[in-house]
Amino acid sequence: MSSLSLSEKEAIILANDSDPQRILNMLIAIQYGSEEGYIDEATAQLVGDHLHLSQARVYEILSFYAILKTEPQAKYVLKICNSTPCLFTGGTMLAEVLETILEVPADEPTPDGLFMYHSIPCIGACDKGPVIKIKDTVFADLTEAKVYQLIDDLQRGCYQEL
Amino acid sequence: MIKRNQPVLLERVNKMRQATNVGEYQEYQGFSGLLKAIEMDKEAILDELDLAHLRGRGGAAFPLGKKWRHLYGAKGDTKYIVCNADEGEPGTFKDKVLLKHDPLSVIEGMVIAGYLFSAKAGYIYMRGEYLGIQKIFQEALDNAEKAGFLGENILGIPGFNYNITIISGAGAYVCGENSALLNSIEGKTGRPRVKPPHLADVGLYLQPTLVNNVESFAGIPVILREGGQAYRDLGTEDGGGTKLICLSGHIKNRGLYEVNLGTSLQDILYSEEYGGGTSTGRPLKFIHFGGQSGPIGAVQNLEDCIYSYEGLWDKDLSIGSGAIVVMDDQVSIVDYLVQVAAFFAHESCGKCTPCRLGTTRILELLTKFNNQTAVVGDLERLEKMLMHVTNLSACGLGQSVANPMKSGLAYFPEEFEAGIREAVTPVKGGLW
Ligand code: SF4
Ligand code: FES
Repeated sequence: MSSLSLSEKEAIILANDSDPQRILNMLIAIQYGSEEGYIDEATAQLVGDHLHLSQARVYEILSFYAILKTEPQAKYVLKICNSTPCLFTGGTMLAEVLETILEVPADEPTPDGLFMYHSIPCIGACDKGPVIKIKDTVFADLTEAKVYQLIDDLQRGCYQEL
Repeated sequence: MIKRNQPVLLERVNKMRQATNVGEYQEYQGFSGLLKAIEMDKEAILDELDLAHLRGRGGAAFPLGKKWRHLYGAKGDTKYIVCNADEGEPGTFKDKVLLKHDPLSVIEGMVIAGYLFSAKAGYIYMRGEYLGIQKIFQEALDNAEKAGFLGENILGIPGFNYNITIISGAGAYVCGENSALLNSIEGKTGRPRVKPPHLADVGLYLQPTLVNNVESFAGIPVILREGGQAYRDLGTEDGGGTKLICLSGHIKNRGLYEVNLGTSLQDILYSEEYGGGTSTGRPLKFIHFGGQSGPIGAVQNLEDCIYSYEGLWDKDLSIGSGAIVVMDDQVSIVDYLVQVAAFFAHESCGKCTPCRLGTTRILELLTKFNNQTAVVGDLERLEKMLMHVTNLSACGLGQSVANPMKSGLAYFPEEFEAGIREAVTPVKGGLW
């Protein structure tokens, strides 16, 4: 996936009627459409201009909401649910296994820029824990073996849509 | 006619082939609640809601009829309808199922509200984690509009103009708090407002606003279709209807179920129809009800417990969102609560000091107990801290942090005491 062009970003803003009420809809769509997975300064400016919001207001929003990022992310950010229902049904295993496979601590991209992992609160798949989420896709009922498989599959480019 | 033990909210979920199809929705009595409503006097609609005794399904359990009456009486030409679909409560995944598999029922409930309050605009604030569902919901909105249930002159009634807009959240638990949610819809950061004023008087863009949960809205068409009394009869004295419950943790059949309020908790936990008992082969130890801010009950004290509002209140518990998180006897309550505290410390919006600092201090203290490095006096410190955070915080998040902690302390005091290092001698005279 390549990053969105200026006109694609503008199309997303217009599809949301340049409506400040839907600023989060726009920012998420733009972020998920970009390979680096973050809102850079020029994009923040672009959104602000269309919505008649100051750069400071846009950054206030970017920094408040957990899904939005202002720094480049790894290609695949693996989000582990660490809320209690998942954590106590095998969730603690996930971070350990990922650290073993990827050889980096949480929140640090692998040297090839492909992977990063960290914990997030509940994603609404509590009956299928432990879970990992990548963008909008949930990998559920994970075991150690399934995590190895997942990383392998991702490395081989099996999930084009992610 | 609806009978007990028949799915009401989940009925279509298991039957419809395409959830967004209006024709198919109508085959299963869809929109008949709305059709009834527009034939009724508005006061009569409110009477049915009162009779039904539906309590808000988001967690606060406030009687919905009262809330709607308040908005009905509120002064203002512009009233807004808002559906809280920011389900972020750990252990809760019920709204997701309705939004995805029966979106039109939520839409129908919101349109009935639009009609009753002569509102022009409705909003559904859906959590950012449910992006795929937002697309499905949008499709349902488009189909409903094409079929004449949204847009201009709905059902041919002149001046009945009403639309619903989806607003995405972006990962902030505190936006589940209604006033924070309204700020977020306005394109601001989602920090709670100071209350009063009540949102029914001063809500979205300072206009009178109704905010209800997804499951509450889905119940409205049923009430109007079947009548308030029939709906009430599905539940118990203190709350009518059925309730969606989410079973998770160390229970065999994890998942979403619909139960009549008044079902026995033992049934929910152990019968094959629902939970099916332990998933680990170990005995069950405690249950966390209603989400992270809900109270915790010890399984051994709940043998005669009835799952209803009053049944749980009797045991100092509450239904909350409908989450039922079950843990077996290998989980230490202190360890569990450390994780709960970490959640709150992470999700506190930081606006008020007692919550911002208090949640962090609670987390630190609990961690000490968990690492067995607590000292004599820490238990008292913890209790004091819990009291302060409850009483001094500005919104529901801070005010309810202590619920799980206090019940954990009450039921399993020995596990906390075991975390205190004996070697330390108390300071004479005390520090405060
Ligand atoms: S109680 Fe906590 S979450 Fe609520 S406003 Fe205060 S700091 Fe924010
Ligand atoms: S608790 Fe993990 S997805 Fe809900």
